[in-house]
Amino acid sequence: MGDRLNRIRQAATFLLVSLLAAACNLSDYRRPVDGRTPGNRPIQVREDGYTSSKACQSCHPHNYSTWYGSFHRTMTQVATPETVVAPVDQPFSFLGWTYRVQRSGRSMWFRMDDPNQPGQPIRMRLALITGSHHMQVYWYVTGDRRKMGQIPFIYLIPDQRWIPSNATFLAPPSPEIRVALPGAWNMACIKCHTTQGKPRSPDWSRSGNLSPDLTFDTQVAEFGIACEACHGPGEAHVRLNRNPLRRYRFHLEGIPDPSIVQPARLSHRLSSQVCGQCHGILEFYEKDDFEHWIDHGYPYRPGDSLSETKLLVQFKDRQLPRIQQLAKRNPHYWEEKFWSDGMVRVSGREYNGLIETPCFQRGELSCLSCHAMHQSPEDPRPLSQWANDQLKPGMEGNLACLQCHDSSRFETPAHTHHPPASSGSQCYNCHMPYTTYGILKAIRSHQIDTPTVQASLQTGRPNACNQCHLDKTLDWAASHLEEWYDVPRPELTQEEQSVAASLLWLLRGDAGQRALMAWSLGWESARRISGSDWIPPFLGQLLEDPYDAVRFIAERSLRRSKAFADWEYEFFGPPKVRAAAHRQVLDLWRGLPHQSDKPEVLIDANGTVRRDLQKRLLRQRDDRVVSLAE
Amino acid sequence: MEQDSTPTAAETATATYLRRHLRFGWWSLLCYLTLGIVLESLHGFKVGWYLDVANETRRFMWTLAHAHGVLLSLVNLAFAVTLPHLAADTVRLARLASPCLMGATFFLPGGFLLGGVVIHSGDPGMGILLVPIGALFLFIAVLLTARRATALRKPASSQGPQATPSGPRRREGRRRRR
Repeated sequence: MGDRLNRIRQAATFLLVSLLAAACNLSDYRRPVDGRTPGNRPIQVREDGYTSSKACQSCHPHNYSTWYGSFHRTMTQVATPETVVAPVDQPFSFLGWTYRVQRSGRSMWFRMDDPNQPGQPIRMRLALITGSHHMQVYWYVTGDRRKMGQIPFIYLIPDQRWIPSNATFLAPPSPEIRVALPGAWNMACIKCHTTQGKPRSPDWSRSGNLSPDLTFDTQVAEFGIACEACHGPGEAHVRLNRNPLRRYRFHLEGIPDPSIVQPARLSHRLSSQVCGQCHGILEFYEKDDFEHWIDHGYPYRPGDSLSETKLLVQFKDRQLPRIQQLAKRNPHYWEEKFWSDGMVRVSGREYNGLIETPCFQRGELSCLSCHAMHQSPEDPRPLSQWANDQLKPGMEGNLACLQCHDSSRFETPAHTHHPPASSGSQCYNCHMPYTTYGILKAIRSHQIDTPTVQASLQTGRPNACNQCHLDKTLDWAASHLEEWYDVPRPELTQEEQSVAASLLWLLRGDAGQRALMAWSLGWESARRISGSDWIPPFLGQLLEDPYDAVRFIAERSLRRSKAFADWEYEFFGPPKVRAAAHRQVLDLWRGLPHQSDKPEVLIDANGTVRRDLQKRLLRQRDDRVVSLAE
Repeated sequence: MEQDSTPTAAETATATYLRRHLRFGWWSLLCYLTLGIVLESLHGFKVGWYLDVANETRRFMWTLAHAHGVLLSLVNLAFAVTLPHLAADTVRLARLASPCLMGATFFLPGGFLLGGVVIHSGDPGMGILLVPIGALFLFIAVLLTARRATALRKPASSQGPQATPSGPRRREGRRRRR
């Protein structure tokens, strides 16, 4: 009897423990995506069929891991000791004030001197981070529900350096540090730095503008660009595929599962639109669409036609009433995005370039022709290397074009007129030059075209020949293009015939052109071909540029010369300091070995810079206000 | 009076099953331990076909094959050792439990092993279908053995379990009396 009782007792204990364990698991399952739901920042919510990337991991481990290693995932992150890459408790000074990132337990803070009450620090609790590849932007808790505020500095990851937030954009000069208005993350960054973001501002319609009194109850399906941004909502897919028979039917028959979108199986147009939903210049058709987005997020789903729900802004459509309305509201609407012939000039808008490319229009070129959102298991490169541009193996070279174009015709000196394996024999150096600007650098144009001097004259856009051959004139480029490819030679002025094109753009160009040239003068391929001994005086000139971004890029390029690697310069300093830095560069350069008698680059027989010519060109500088909407 | 030392048919059969499971248990243990060495080598040489995240399912399946194989080999040895203690009616038990246990030792780890050869991302290949068959065999074998073990009674004296009539035998006796 006693034995029996013991056995019953043991069985009951076992049952109880099992039930407790099951209950723990169940409670874990029901936990919100963010754990304990925070009340002071945007949150991740599973609704509208979105289920989060965690649900994808178990069935698609490889795809999950490659996405996890990509910068798409980390486009927005919750600020934690692991995600903040800026140094903690290392104060930095700027214009006399001291700033630092601090850690307190699991929370991260930004501490700065209060300009109104010296000696009294202001502490801001960091909640979100945008970016993770080139820079990190930190957003603090405003205390006004889920509205985010921006701290005044941005941390540049490769440079390991803080710079004022406004200096990262090519924007009109300002002597002060400017930050985005509180709520900018909730209304702007959310669009492309999260998956299915919903600003949810109940008082937007009353205000109609981003104003300090707006409140937000912002929700997203997931921070960062997650699986469902490209594959569409996955809840139904997950639910249906709990059935193993269904899964094995698709495995064995090799047919696509209709419950989820696979961009690689879409037509080249539709698959490119999946990328284009963020990498394109898009507007809302109507005010109602905008207000619908504020409450419910974008109605576009991968696989849909993008134009059904979003207006893609193209130069050819500039007569459309909606676009005219936008252009009327912002007189710089076009020039802050496009070159004057309609080619995109800002980064992150590659889809606009792609669709203007003949290979897309007449062929089947898509984003996925060269890029892969998941690194192939056969790709021998380290994950971090692939993640840099997410290019497929071999696509850093001519293979990208030779997928369709005949190697025997195009990959020959007869076509390239450059020695094989030289940078000039690389298709993209001529057909995808660095003519778009963003994130403090030049980026390849994704509108594939052929170089012409005529286009440079009409638009001011650097042509591929002169962007690489920095010491050559437009006349030199025009002669070669005429001789090699029968490109008609345009009429050129005296200066265009005698002064290197790079210097014309650098000295006479607008801020966008100057930024591109500041970058090009530090481009290793171009420096190898053009020689780099003549470059410092001209980068020195850009250290005095009115635009923060131009000065910053010039400084970065200047540091590529050994003599200037450890040279001190504060790009955000007052004009006097910048002028002194310029003089210092000239002094240093005079002491360095360099060629003389290079009239194209304004170096005379004595090996000094032709200041008269330089000043004359500088006086012609295009000082129109430039603000590039990257 | 001289005792007859000739083994009974039941004892002979029990001994046969015992030998069979000892032999089978030790050899299968060797096989699955070898599989473990192979897996360790794949780890040692960082073989992508086994270790890459894309092949996570394969690694999981083969680890399961190794673990189940080793464990079931030990269960075979335990079964062999247990048999003589399960009273006189072991032959009836062994006739069903023995092939079930040996089948489970083939099918369960074998299913995991084959399931890992061809994988479909997070799903194993069709070989995995052998696993539920093996699991059923194992369930039957363990159920039968457990029932037989339950039927054992505490020895009345120090004669050991064999001398104590087990439950089924007592039930048989009752039936005979009727």
